[in-house]
Amino acid sequence: MGRPGFVLEVDERTPPLLVHAGEGFGVQRFPLGTKVIYPPDSLPGIRDVNAAIQDALLHPIASDPLPELLHPGMRLTIAFDDISLPLPPMQTPDIRGRVIEHVLELAARAGVDDVRLIVANSLHRRMTPAEIKRAVGERVFRSFYPDALTNHDAEDSANLIHLGVTEQGEDVEINRRAAESDLLVYANINLVAMDGGHKSVPVGLGSYRSLRHHHNVHTMLNSRSYMDPREGHSAIHDSCTRMGRLLSGHLRIFTIETTLNNDTFPSPFEFMNKREWEWSFKDQASYLAAKRANERAPGRMRREVFRRVAAPYGVTGVTAGDTETVHQRTLATLHRQQLTEVNGQSDILVVGLPYICPYNVNSIMNPILVQCLGLGYLFNMYVNKPVVRPGGVMILHHPVPWEFHQVHHPSYIDFFDEVLAETTDPAAIEAKYEAQYAQDPWYVHLYRNSYAYHGVHPFYMWYWGAHAMEYLRDVIFVGADRKAVGRMGFRTASTFADALEMASETVGRSPSVTYLHTPPLTLAEVR
Amino acid sequence: MRGRSLADDVREVARGWRWTRRPLTPRSAEAWAPRPEPREFPTDWARTRVAKATREAVLSYGFRPVIHVETEMAVDGLDHLDGVRTPVMFVANHASHMDTPLILCALPKAWRERTAVAAAADYFFDVWWRAASTALAFNTFPIERTGGARATDTARRLVGEGWSLVVYPEGTRSRDGWVGRFRHGAARLALEFGIPVVPIALRGTFAAMPRGRSWPVKGRLPVSVRFGPALQAEPGEDFRSFSRRIQQAMGRLWDEDATDWFRSLRHQAEGTTPSLAGPPAPRWRRMWESSRPLPRRGPERVWPR
Repeated sequence: MGRPGFVLEVDERTPPLLVHAGEGFGVQRFPLGTKVIYPPDSLPGIRDVNAAIQDALLHPIASDPLPELLHPGMRLTIAFDDISLPLPPMQTPDIRGRVIEHVLELAARAGVDDVRLIVANSLHRRMTPAEIKRAVGERVFRSFYPDALTNHDAEDSANLIHLGVTEQGEDVEINRRAAESDLLVYANINLVAMDGGHKSVPVGLGSYRSLRHHHNVHTMLNSRSYMDPREGHSAIHDSCTRMGRLLSGHLRIFTIETTLNNDTFPSPFEFMNKREWEWSFKDQASYLAAKRANERAPGRMRREVFRRVAAPYGVTGVTAGDTETVHQRTLATLHRQQLTEVNGQSDILVVGLPYICPYNVNSIMNPILVQCLGLGYLFNMYVNKPVVRPGGVMILHHPVPWEFHQVHHPSYIDFFDEVLAETTDPAAIEAKYEAQYAQDPWYVHLYRNSYAYHGVHPFYMWYWGAHAMEYLRDVIFVGADRKAVGRMGFRTASTFADALEMASETVGRSPSVTYLHTPPLTLAEVR
Repeated sequence: MRGRSLADDVREVARGWRWTRRPLTPRSAEAWAPRPEPREFPTDWARTRVAKATREAVLSYGFRPVIHVETEMAVDGLDHLDGVRTPVMFVANHASHMDTPLILCALPKAWRERTAVAAAADYFFDVWWRAASTALAFNTFPIERTGGARATDTARRLVGEGWSLVVYPEGTRSRDGWVGRFRHGAARLALEFGIPVVPIALRGTFAAMPRGRSWPVKGRLPVSVRFGPALQAEPGEDFRSFSRRIQQAMGRLWDEDATDWFRSLRHQAEGTTPSLAGPPAPRWRRMWESSRPLPRRGPERVWPR
């Protein structure tokens, strides 16, 4: 039995603590009394994953066993999460591929001929053939790609179908093939509490027309937090649930959800998975060697090294059946791995932003994505109430280079240069620019034919941080590009000590400080 | 964090993780500290010929002169070792870091060369340099104070190889100079191998170099090492009863050192041997009594130093 998550109080015995800062990392001394939130120890992975998958498919929750849902002549569609999960990508075999293989084994045995596989990439960039192959495995890829294994195209109006509107007037439009199938099997990886459930199909296979109802500033400001998908806590999840329930009246969905443990970093970065005072001499030497080598390496090589990091995740749960019931169980497993109880809010929240977020796998983390990772994801890694008090300060470690991936993020470049130069207010941006970017034919073309994120995607990334922007009085980046940070309306400090000094203008000279020690992922349950 | 030199980084890690000292767990994390894996520091090298020669030099030309200069050492009862079948287990009370060098320096060379000392794994074997230096100087081997199946594995092996052992059954140095609770590990081991136990009474070491000191106090205080006759377990005797006999023998030795041999025998016969645990009094009075220097032996100096 692993140890639960806990909150460290920094004392004179505490060694400097590991802090991520983009494609770099280091150790940092924190003020005495700082609270540091650590996740529970990594749970042991399931030893026989294949048996667990088999068991989940044959004994699903609130659903008939999968073999009973399969019959000759039926239309079967299998959709699965895209490149944005998990982070970092897991060592092969990917759990999605293993699940899909088991589903296909049963389908072949039942005589199902009409099978399609769809990457549920929503408005994300298309996955490249190599990325798809890595996710589903060679056997599935060779059997189905490219005709029957495709990316979802949210701008292909001929292949979208409008299934109706919810009681709140939200359009539900999803992939036609999925909607017209006799059975839709969805295989997910539930990395954080935000993923999965009814967010899988209506979002992953949805269109802009559908997504705009929940990916907007109003919903984000009323999702407190979107890592707490219980009804009434997260407006985005409530909207997805309404859409999912409407969908379930039109098609049969068999949901397969999986959870992973916290074994995030492979050798030689294993020390990043450990609590610092438990670093062995080997860990300390690995840290020194990795840090020096990383700092000495040219930028491209550094990025390449990080790109090749594949997490040795263990699978902690495979659950199949009815979407809502399955998701409850998935969340319970996820909480066992990530939830840490925290007493009270603090004046300052400190985070170290790693090199990766859901939208820069095999890509570049541009300033908007840095903002999204910090103010969107990590700020929202809470249940009940934020780790930092209203009007508090958030200090983020990241260099925030003014750098964009020309192929993956073309609309981000224009958003950063044109939109943010004029205003950083999410509501103003939404009202004035969103429709223009979402419907821009060049961005639509690049989304459909190149490997670009949808034109509206940078807006959504900006909205992710709307709650934090409204809630916090000050946001300070440590060691960052002043121009890039200034463009986003935040402040820069050269060192952590300077950042604390700057924060004292807002929270006084003796503030309470909390450091969210992540990755590995930690979800704070603030009392 | 960037832009620092390698030396800065190494210095930061060395300071943060206390390379030269005992690693510490933050107080708030102590409740969650994992039990250390039972991993034993290898000490076989400390019993090789080269290490033996080095140790003899260190003890003879390092520790012995220091002990003689800084204390007034008296050794008695070595005649009890004559004719004793080896290996044996030396069992002593423990009040000071001085105890081990005192015993080793008091032993005749032939005995010293074949004697190993049990040392707390968590204290003496926590960092490599402490483990290596004590293993070399005193021929120590690690023993787990918390017990467990593997706590005495090395001790068993060494006895099997014919090494005599020095064991402190209290498991730690006394906090007030009096003898603490005896653990039964030594008696168990002696019973298991059928080897004799030689009790040793160490007196005056708490006054000369108590806990917290790494050098004897000034004034060349007297210290006494008194060996007793070897004890052998009776047929059918269990380890508890054997352990009690060892304690009684040590008590009598202590009394012999404080009074004289015959009077200690009389006290034993009358059941009035003073308790090793000290007087049942408040802590300060116990400390006061145990930190009182032993009376000097021999005539008073005419010309004080």
